[in-house]
Amino acid sequence: MSPGLFAQSLVLGVLTGGMYALMAAGLTLIFGVMKVINVAHAAMIVMGAYLSLTLFRHLGIDPLVSVVLLVPVFLGLGALVQWGVVNRLAERDITLTVLMTFGFAIILEGLQGAIWTSSYQGIKTAYSLESFRLFTLYVPVVRLISAGVSLVLLAGLYVMLTFTSLGRAIRATIQNRTAAQLVGVNVRLVTTISFAIGIAIAGAAGPLLGMLFTFYPATHWLWIGKLLAIVVLGGLGSLRGAFVAAMLLGIAEQVTSVTIALDWAPMIFYVFLFGVLVVRPQGLFGTVERQSL
Amino acid sequence: MRLERRLGQGWPLRRGWPWAGLVLLLLVPLVLPEGFYLDLLMFTFMYAAMSVGWDIMGGYAGYVSLGHVGFFGLGSYAAALLLVHLGLPVFITAPLVGLMASLLGAGLGFISLRTRGPAFVIVTLTFTYVAQLLMLDLKSVTGGSQGLFLPLLDLPANLVIVPFYYGMLALLVIAILVSIAIRRSKFGLGLIAIREDEGKAEASGVNTSLYKILAFAISVWFAGTAGALHAQYLNYVDPDLAFELIITLNLIIMSLFGSRGIVWGPVLGAFILYPLSAYLVFLVPSRVAGQVHLAALGIVLVLVVMFLPDGLIRSYQGWRTKRPKDARPLEARASIVETTG
Repeated sequence: MSPGLFAQSLVLGVLTGGMYALMAAGLTLIFGVMKVINVAHAAMIVMGAYLSLTLFRHLGIDPLVSVVLLVPVFLGLGALVQWGVVNRLAERDITLTVLMTFGFAIILEGLQGAIWTSSYQGIKTAYSLESFRLFTLYVPVVRLISAGVSLVLLAGLYVMLTFTSLGRAIRATIQNRTAAQLVGVNVRLVTTISFAIGIAIAGAAGPLLGMLFTFYPATHWLWIGKLLAIVVLGGLGSLRGAFVAAMLLGIAEQVTSVTIALDWAPMIFYVFLFGVLVVRPQGLFGTVERQSL
Repeated sequence: MRLERRLGQGWPLRRGWPWAGLVLLLLVPLVLPEGFYLDLLMFTFMYAAMSVGWDIMGGYAGYVSLGHVGFFGLGSYAAALLLVHLGLPVFITAPLVGLMASLLGAGLGFISLRTRGPAFVIVTLTFTYVAQLLMLDLKSVTGGSQGLFLPLLDLPANLVIVPFYYGMLALLVIAILVSIAIRRSKFGLGLIAIREDEGKAEASGVNTSLYKILAFAISVWFAGTAGALHAQYLNYVDPDLAFELIITLNLIIMSLFGSRGIVWGPVLGAFILYPLSAYLVFLVPSRVAGQVHLAALGIVLVLVVMFLPDGLIRSYQGWRTKRPKDARPLEARASIVETTG
């Protein structure tokens, strides 16, 4: 692999990785506060892509505008679903909660197929195929935009988690739910808010996914696999870890597709996923789960 | 101890009705040789057998697998390849294909079951997709998206279904006997201890990792074997057909609906739900039938999880004995669900 080609893969990998980081952030945040894998996370992202596609086709609304429109909608829906359904169950039984999110994923997939058919779709804007050259490197505009939007949103999330009292409460709940409750954090409310933020991020990532990739209802199985690889490599519940892992895997994916074959690029995620689980189940930035008797 | 005496005593079925049911089902093809009913019953047996298998892991040990169809699909492919390349008939290779699935299950179990936590859900969830991707990408062996055609069985058209009917029935009988044997063994007690409180189970000497891995390996044997038979039944495999998500979903719903962790729970679930869903599929316009079917099953799963998490049998038992009201599902009762950070 020539240095030029490697530099090119690096650029594409980092730009794609930025969006992966955004998609994984919601998943790892929800796991952090609830200790539940939201199986429906990728299905919700794909739902965002479909909604953005419809807004674009019928009302001419640019996908970047629909990012702004979808965030409050998904925030509200996330809060509603968490408060109304998930929370009641999650406090009783984590296994059943996972099954419930599995059910949500299936419902979303079926709905998308019934509404938008199961054929491939993509959001093609006027600037979809634009690109420019930076020295010898080829930079597609949509990838740059989606990475930029992702970074802005992730920075916002970071600031919120680090500097606000809500952020402190969320971090406390992630670290130790019982202790957080003992020092006066309303963990149920914090859980609902965190879940809603996670879903809102999924909604924001939807239009970006739709601009960069083709999608169909069942694509969420591919994406949940990629996202799980990212959050497991980064350490479940760790946002910083998810960011680093997203970049690493974004680059690894590009390198694989150039050096081996495009078909095999998704496989690199699973190689990492299974490898990490064997070698270091807590991931790069995770903590070893203590087992209480 | 009284419990031990109860567990040790009696050959599998003390009551007569399961044997009577078996004799009836054995006679069906002689009395009612119509393809439609045999087909319906055969698929019911297939789902029931796989659900009983799923329940060994999901019900006894309390670890829900989201990837059983991965083993079903790989079983289909393995049987198809053995037949196409080596000429080995599926009815002979099917149990061996199941063993291959078990080995693979043990491997995945080794990756994901040595610790507690979400690794098992993650691995089983992604495994199906990996398996499907592999079958799609290994074009030279599997034919990629073209799929593989299997030679037909040398039987008159109206009799072709009969060996599959008895094959799936045999699989179901084996599943029930294995499930009963596990339920009455020390191994089964260990699995239930894991479900109730894994920490305490480990502290009291249960080799939890080994038990879980073994349970998973047994659990997927049924999916692999059923997949092998199913491939020959259709005479065809392709990546979409072999890894149909609906299969995993059906197993989960059937086990939950009937009652998890009870031998007859998944059987009851399959015998009620499969014929029902086969009938309901006719009512939906075929243009959207697949999608609506999927969404409807998702809704059923969410509803069962919310309103009938204990399943029919356990709910009925609870209602009959009028035990003190405890709305929590079974595994939450004995254990303290506590997350540590």
